[in-house]
Amino acid sequence: MSGSVAQRPVRPPSRPRYKGKAPYLFLSPYLVLTTAFFAVPFVNAILLAFYETNGPRSRAFVGLANFVYLFTDSVFRRALFNTTVFALVSVFVQLPLSMALALLLNSGGDRVKGFFRLVFFSPNLVGQVLVGILFGVLFTPRYGLINRGFQMVLHWGLEARWLSEPRLIMPAIVLTSLWLWVGFNMIYFLAALQTVDKTLQEAARIDGASPWQIFWHVTLPSMRHVVIFVVIMSVIGSYQLFELPLTLLSESYGYGANDAGLTLITYLNYNAFRCGDLGLGSAVGWVVALIIFVISLVQIRLGRLAEED
Amino acid sequence: MRFVSNFPYGRAPFWLLVIALVSLGLRVVTARGREARPDLVVVTHTEAQFDAYRKAIPRFERDHGVKVQLQFANWASLQARLQNAILAGTEVPDLAEVFAGSLGFFTRGPVEDIGLLDLTDRLHADGLTQRLVQSRLSLWSTRGRVYALPHDVHPVMLAYRRDLVEALGIDVSKLDTWDKFVEVGRQVSRDLDGDGIIDRYMLDMRYDGNWALQILLFQRGGQVFDPQGEVAFATEDTAQLIRWYLEQTRGPHRIGYECGWGQPVVKAMTDGLVLFHWAPDWRSWIFADEAPALSGKMALMPLPAWTPGGRRTSTWGGTGLMIMKQTRHPDLAWELAKYLYFDTAELGQRFLATNILPPLKDAWNLPEFDKPFPYYSNQRVGQMYAALAPDAPPVYSSSVDDAGRLGLDRAFNRSAEYYARHGEAGLLDEIRSELAVAADDVRRLARREKILAKGKL
Repeated sequence: MSGSVAQRPVRPPSRPRYKGKAPYLFLSPYLVLTTAFFAVPFVNAILLAFYETNGPRSRAFVGLANFVYLFTDSVFRRALFNTTVFALVSVFVQLPLSMALALLLNSGGDRVKGFFRLVFFSPNLVGQVLVGILFGVLFTPRYGLINRGFQMVLHWGLEARWLSEPRLIMPAIVLTSLWLWVGFNMIYFLAALQTVDKTLQEAARIDGASPWQIFWHVTLPSMRHVVIFVVIMSVIGSYQLFELPLTLLSESYGYGANDAGLTLITYLNYNAFRCGDLGLGSAVGWVVALIIFVISLVQIRLGRLAEED
Repeated sequence: MRFVSNFPYGRAPFWLLVIALVSLGLRVVTARGREARPDLVVVTHTEAQFDAYRKAIPRFERDHGVKVQLQFANWASLQARLQNAILAGTEVPDLAEVFAGSLGFFTRGPVEDIGLLDLTDRLHADGLTQRLVQSRLSLWSTRGRVYALPHDVHPVMLAYRRDLVEALGIDVSKLDTWDKFVEVGRQVSRDLDGDGIIDRYMLDMRYDGNWALQILLFQRGGQVFDPQGEVAFATEDTAQLIRWYLEQTRGPHRIGYECGWGQPVVKAMTDGLVLFHWAPDWRSWIFADEAPALSGKMALMPLPAWTPGGRRTSTWGGTGLMIMKQTRHPDLAWELAKYLYFDTAELGQRFLATNILPPLKDAWNLPEFDKPFPYYSNQRVGQMYAALAPDAPPVYSSSVDDAGRLGLDRAFNRSAEYYARHGEAGLLDEIRSELAVAADDVRRLARREKILAKGKL
């Protein structure tokens, strides 16, 4: 013996191995609930897309006919176009506005920040249905507050028929959604801005970078994970747009004049729940899910590429 | 606590088990025995009807020695849940009130899937078909059978600012055709203060067609669907109507202005921005309720006809009472339906509370229907609507009802876009083409439904 005791590595206590049925019994509530409320509906929704149905009990197998119908239906194509336009506006108009607001608030004091955070977030508290009803009144030709505001500032808009003229319907939905969502996304950006390393921004400033260069090369890359998250969530939310057009354009079931306000989920809702064709509705649901999946994958991939650069 | 520590697999499973057992125990203790189902359950979606039925039902219960439960539900959820419940075979009310245009939804698919009681033979047996306004049964019929009782007729008139119209020297009794109405409308629709914006219009007209276009279509004898449920709007007459409507809402001599709904209409009428608006019986009451300041300044007139001596009314909306096939007491449900809709003792008071004209012609002789209505310059509103009611046009139903209405609107709005770009040149051909395309789209959707009839599992 050398007199020194060799130090044996201390093994963590091994987890007890349980045998028998007990572990499965404990897992069973979760498995039963997941199977009943997730797996079965999931599989059923896949199968449903290949049937034409009249409510939940009466159905006829139609193979791919639902999908063929969708892609040859000009109304569905219009819904896809409208929803994509709305998603693009969300990403390229709404999010920059949210970011601008967040940057503005980030430069203010804590009290100012707290107050405006509440102000900009509060539209979200009332919900889309109420906002839809409220804006339905604000968009009234001649008497609506928005019409009068436009007239005062731009000398245009007093007679604008936001909710019955096809070319104005999507701008009306966008305006309403801006009021609703700009503040919501701003909260994410504001939170992310507060985590950006100030010393990096300071170093860039000393090196002579302009405010824009600091934002573009230092601030934005530092918060890219949040930006990617918000962009993905915005796109998903945009493709699920439903309540707002439905309440704004309630007399045409959310379609609007010349289908100008029609979104994919409105189309789904109409076919599945007003016409009772759950099969067609399910097919629309899968198309929407696929679109969201592909777009999200592309966005995540682009985010990674930007990170590697 | 040693027991807890020694519990197999540790403390967490022990506490989870305790929570599960306590929850189960609470559920068992608090569970009440299910109340016995009343003999009949009836659901409505309109507050006015709910109040009226709540007062009327106790007498029916006494007379028949039964228990009736009245429920109130939002109309959209009532429609969707009811249809799914019927098809799934789950519990449904015995009777339910639904809006016009929803029959197609409830009668979609094979006849054996229709969850509603066929009322045709009962109507004949009780001699009701002769006592009702015939055209109203069309709203609740499909494949030649009647599946709901009509609650109303909803003839349409025009309500107008009597004080302003008289001050302008307009004699409404001479406005008996749309040509004359438009002629006068062009004289009064003008910019009064020279700012380039028209300050006074003749008529409230929806910019996107929608219900206003349908009112005029029905008045002309047109239909969205024919009695067999086939698309019927793609006609030369509809094309002519759309051209006319575009001229009145967008043309250089337009007379129509869209006022919106609710308070914006009240404001427009109060300001004199529009002089006339559409007034089916139900809306005549709602407007009076919403704009009390105009009491005595308003009056009603029949719609101008499309041709001299032609139809002076149309129809807008409707409610029907359906009896479910699943009801355990079909005869009792039928008695209740007749009592709620056609008991003359109730109908007079109900008219006074809503202005809604029932389809039962006998009821129109009640004194309540002959009362002057101060809001409308003491006109005998009940008699005015009753005089027009027999001429109210039928409105036929289809399994793709909404799609038909949307298709008509689509054709209208596409034609409007053409009109905005090209004006009158080639407009009529464009309208015909858009109507044909829209009709084909609806037919395509309707064809899908036929698959169900063949391939039901």
